[in-house]
Amino acid sequence: MTDGIRSAADLPEESRQALHDTILSLADSKRIIGILYADWVLGAPELEANIATSSISQDEWGHSRLLYALLKDFGEEPEKLEHAREPSEYCSIEALDQRLATWPEFVATNAIVDTALTVQLEALANSCYTPLRQRVQKQLEEERFHEAHGAAWLRRLGSSSDAARAAAQEAVNARWSHVLHWFGPDDFGTGEKEAGLTDGNGGELRARFIDRMTPVIEGAGLEVPSTRLDFSDWESASRRSQRTGPDPEAVARARGDRNRAFFVETAEPEK
Amino acid sequence: MAEQVYVVFARKNREDPLHHIGSVQASDPELAKVYAWKTYDEERWFEMVVAPRDTFYPVNREEAPFDISRRSANSPEVA
Repeated sequence: MTDGIRSAADLPEESRQALHDTILSLADSKRIIGILYADWVLGAPELEANIATSSISQDEWGHSRLLYALLKDFGEEPEKLEHAREPSEYCSIEALDQRLATWPEFVATNAIVDTALTVQLEALANSCYTPLRQRVQKQLEEERFHEAHGAAWLRRLGSSSDAARAAAQEAVNARWSHVLHWFGPDDFGTGEKEAGLTDGNGGELRARFIDRMTPVIEGAGLEVPSTRLDFSDWESASRRSQRTGPDPEAVARARGDRNRAFFVETAEPEK
Repeated sequence: MAEQVYVVFARKNREDPLHHIGSVQASDPELAKVYAWKTYDEERWFEMVVAPRDTFYPVNREEAPFDISRRSANSPEVA
C-alpha cells in the first residue's frame, strides 16, 4: 500500500461525505453501546463479568472519542458532536435505541451488535485514508475480547435453563434485523470501496457478518433469525430508518449533561 | 455449565519467565481468557495464559495452595 491519503480534504469529493457518515455512525454507536454496557457494570451475574463489563464499556467509550476526534479533519467540532446533540441527531445503530433491561439483552448486544461494529471497522483496517487506518488497529485488538465475551456468554445462556435460552433467543431476534439493515443496501458504499476507503460494500459486509455470527448463534443452540430486508425508509447518511434516536436518558448521560457545570470551556460559540 | 477456577500466568517481556498473577472463575476456557485479560490489565502483557487449576498436581506438599482437593471453587487464591 502507498502512503495513502493523509487529509480528508484530499479524499475524492464524492466519497468524503460518505466516509464522514460511516465514521460518525461508528462513533455514535460506540458511544451509546458504552453507555448501555455501563448500566451492567455492577449488575452482571458474577464478579469477573462485572469487571469485564466495566472494561469493555470503557473500551467503547475510548473508541468513540478516537473516532469523534478524527471527524475534526472533516470540519466537524468534536466537542459539539460529543456534548451538544439531540437524540434525533445521533446516527447510532437502531439496535441500540433501547436500554438493556436484562442480562440476556446485554449478552445479545455484546455478541451481535458489537460484532457488527467490528465487521465495519475491519473493512476500514486497510483504508487508503491513513488517519482512519491508524486508529482502527488498536480498536480491533480490544474488540477481539469483546467478541469472545459475547460469544461465550451466548453459549452459556444457550446451554442454561429453558427460560435463559428463550430470553437469549428473544434478545437476538430483537436486534438481528436492525443490524442487517445497518449495513445498508447491497451496493451501499461501492464507490468508497472502489476508492480504496473500505474493502466491502453493504451486501459484502452483511454477508461477512452473517457468516461470522451463524456458527456463534447455532453453536449456542439458538436459531439465526430470518429477516426480510426492506430499505424503503432507510436513510444512507444516518444508516437508520427512524430518526427518533437512542433513549434520551442514555443520550443525556453520553453528552455528560449532569457534569456540564464542570466542563472546561474553550470558547463560547457565536450566537 | 460448571464454574471452574483458572490460574492466570503472564509475562511482561519475551525474555521474562511466566509469573503466577492470580486466578479467575469461569464456565469455559474462552470466558476465562477474557476475564483474565480484563481483570489483570495493569500491565501491557507480552503473553498471558490460563489453565484450569485442577490440572495442577502438587509435588512436594499436599497442603500447598494448589492442592485443590482441600478447597472449594470459591476459595480465594492464596498462592
